[in-house]
Amino acid sequence: MIKSSMQEIHPREVANKGDKENLQKAIGMALEVENDALRLNTQTFNANRYNAIKKLNDYEGLKDRARKIKEKSIENLPELINKLTAAVQSRGGKVYLAKTKEDAAGYVKDVCKSHSAKLVVKAKSITSEEIGLNDSLEKENIEVAETDLAEFILQVSKEQPSHIVAPAIHRSRERISKLFKENFRTAQKLETGEELTKFARDILRQKFLSADVGISGANLIAANEGTILLVESEGNIRLTTQLPAIHIAIAGIEKIIETKKDFGTFIELLAASGTGQQLTTYTNILEPPLNLPVLNLNGRQDTLREFHLVLVDNGRMKMREDRDLYEALYCIRCSACMNVCANFQAVGGHAFGGECYTGGIGGAWTVGTTGKLENGRFAELCTGCSRCIPSCPVQINIPHLNTVIKNRLIKKGEPSLQRKFFGNFSVLARFTSTVPTLSNWAANFYLSKIIFEKVIGFDKRRNIPRFAKSTLTKQYQNYKRDSSIREIESNASTKLILFADVYTNYNNPHIGMAIVKLFEKLGLPVTLSKVMEDGRAAQSQGLIDAAGNSAKRLTRYLLELIADGADLLFAEPSVLSMIRYDYKKFVNDNRLFLKLQNNCYDPMEYLLKIVKEGTLNVDWLKERITNRNIKIFYHGHCQMKSIGIGNSTPDFLEMLGFEVDISIAECCGMAGSFGYKKQYYELSKNVGKDLTKQIRKSQVDGCSIILASGNSCREQIMDELGEEVYHPIEFLHKVIG
Amino acid sequence: MPVQTHVDLVNQFLLSAVDSVATVEKIARTPEALNEALLKEIADEQFVLLSQPDDIDKELFSLFEKNEKVITYPTGEQLKTIRTGITDSFCAVAKTGSVCVSVNKYLTSAISMLTRKHIVVVDSRTIVPRPADLFSENYLEGKGLSKSFSFITGPSATADMGPLVRGVHGPGQIHIIVLD
Repeated sequence: MIKSSMQEIHPREVANKGDKENLQKAIGMALEVENDALRLNTQTFNANRYNAIKKLNDYEGLKDRARKIKEKSIENLPELINKLTAAVQSRGGKVYLAKTKEDAAGYVKDVCKSHSAKLVVKAKSITSEEIGLNDSLEKENIEVAETDLAEFILQVSKEQPSHIVAPAIHRSRERISKLFKENFRTAQKLETGEELTKFARDILRQKFLSADVGISGANLIAANEGTILLVESEGNIRLTTQLPAIHIAIAGIEKIIETKKDFGTFIELLAASGTGQQLTTYTNILEPPLNLPVLNLNGRQDTLREFHLVLVDNGRMKMREDRDLYEALYCIRCSACMNVCANFQAVGGHAFGGECYTGGIGGAWTVGTTGKLENGRFAELCTGCSRCIPSCPVQINIPHLNTVIKNRLIKKGEPSLQRKFFGNFSVLARFTSTVPTLSNWAANFYLSKIIFEKVIGFDKRRNIPRFAKSTLTKQYQNYKRDSSIREIESNASTKLILFADVYTNYNNPHIGMAIVKLFEKLGLPVTLSKVMEDGRAAQSQGLIDAAGNSAKRLTRYLLELIADGADLLFAEPSVLSMIRYDYKKFVNDNRLFLKLQNNCYDPMEYLLKIVKEGTLNVDWLKERITNRNIKIFYHGHCQMKSIGIGNSTPDFLEMLGFEVDISIAECCGMAGSFGYKKQYYELSKNVGKDLTKQIRKSQVDGCSIILASGNSCREQIMDELGEEVYHPIEFLHKVIG
Repeated sequence: MPVQTHVDLVNQFLLSAVDSVATVEKIARTPEALNEALLKEIADEQFVLLSQPDDIDKELFSLFEKNEKVITYPTGEQLKTIRTGITDSFCAVAKTGSVCVSVNKYLTSAISMLTRKHIVVVDSRTIVPRPADLFSENYLEGKGLSKSFSFITGPSATADMGPLVRGVHGPGQIHIIVLD
């Protein structure tokens, strides 16, 4: 049930999340009212997407090509606009280049008025939302009928879209049924999907048959030929663009590519990435004004087909000049980044979105098209988990766009103690670890928790990370001293060095030691690196300069070790993925970056690799396992999955003969420091429940141990279940005798 | 990639079309066979709309056209109300089971979107492997590059009301007749 406090908050009102309080209200509303429908619908899209891309025989190749086409198009945009204008005009169509949203809406209004239009049918167009088209037409007493069923629902409910492809994704069938019953006086039954669809269809068919003008968007436009690509499943786009004699298409200038010959690269990719179809039901290739007869089913006496293409700039040319945000212009609006995003799955675009652009990609778009940085504040909901990166058909580094928005908000005068605290964790760790007993004691003291929450926004319901009594560096030194008498017989061809990241050194030295000892058992001696900051924590808070400085220092150090013939092991996946993916931005020399990429490993990934290479004998290993009759639940770290090594741990465990249940959650919800923050505690817990539900089910099926590679994933699961969660290496160390 | 023979392509198309929730049949390329197949499909209808064939040889429809149920020059009212329509198509796609319907000077596109049931005739010689082939000069002599058209893949559908529902603004049923 909707609580009375929440009834007062309307999505239209929370749309403007320029201030922090509104963002908080929006999260609360979404969790309370929209969460179930959002989770079901986004996760269905996401699962369908995974199935569909499996059927594309050249997914990665298509992505590479799509990326290149978009890069080239944006680079040559002014020239393409001219070519497109000429192509459309040569067929008798008109092109209007609108500098602002007011320009664009004004032009459309004038065209409608020049035809004495009373009724306009409109296909789904987020760009038309951006320019506020409906308001501007309604002010002139022109009725606008939204014909996409989702947009039709929103027109009735007066809500903003919550998703760019399925704008009413936040509404369950039950809530649509209730809405229709309250708004339409009808004796018809409005319960099932079929009944609701037929009801809306019948209303809209009458609109189609009497509309004066049809307004559509465009998925892509080919400059050389003036051809428009429009994808859909309902059939409303075909009716909108072909029934009335007057057709207006509204599109952002970034939709232009050079030639329709490239449509072939996009159509399957767009369908698979968006709705998880092989091809959308209707994939329309139109060169308007169309040569089909004027039908005049609306009773008008139009004699000729007329076509207007409204190209909207509204901030895009400025985005094109922006050294970071330009990448958002490559977006083909498929929505994969939303469906794959754990936070979006929980709160949708009414919280994680602006007035019309939603999700991870929505931040840059909202800032770019409204010109106001504050409007992109919802970029805070991007945890940097990076699951969107491999899902994006044009390979946009979406988390980076959001980091940049956070960074600019800080530079505009919004640094907070909270950001500084989480972004400079290593300083705190170094300080407190000098007196770990005292700081651990103080950390869980109720009064200090309250102070912590008040001052830095560290949620008091969370456990403050514990500092180990003795750091990894110390433990390793002691261990070496004690074992210096026994010489380890090495069968390794390369030197192995464990990177002493801040978390492993101060909080989880036991995991670091487990790696050292396990590898030693396998005849692979491991030494320890210096403790160094990697920049992940700073980056996640938007502190890009600090992250860059750390990255440069660490790169220099790691490259020295690599030059010395070492392979590097990383206990913490967020640090590893920072180096293997994010460092690309900070390391200018691609050759050096590749060295980092090729010589830094997750320990389980490394073991799997040397088994495959034949250096480590898996049968020998199996014989040393004391008990193989164990069923494991494994949760892979989000960033580990995104750099393509999400399967190495379960693959290796299965190779050793264990049965493994693999988590299907995209992210645990803790996402580094995100879940510790007071303002995101509920959201983080909500996301985490998805994972722990799967674990409970797996336990019923006989799983007896929970493994997770990431530090914050383990914290999240332990917090929710109250059970121990281990790093996979700890487990192996225990079971290998 | 192995080269697909004509038979492979046709067979793949038939399977993909079924996957897309269309119904599909393969018949001989004769006016008699087409007449028989179409009459069977429209047995329950009083009237049906037929677009003038443009992409497929007119002769093949010559027998069927004479049937009294068939309306080839509909009034606006008939276009609005008749539930079943028959059109040709200029190509089909083996991988996805799509048929490609032209937007031309006839009522082909209008009939294919206004009716509740769409019966579409496709020449098996125009089946291409993948959707992208429509944008290449190497297939169909570049015909896909020179016209407005829609790939139609199964009946119109929505998930906007919650569950998946077939039959929204476009036809809820699609029947494909492949001419061998």
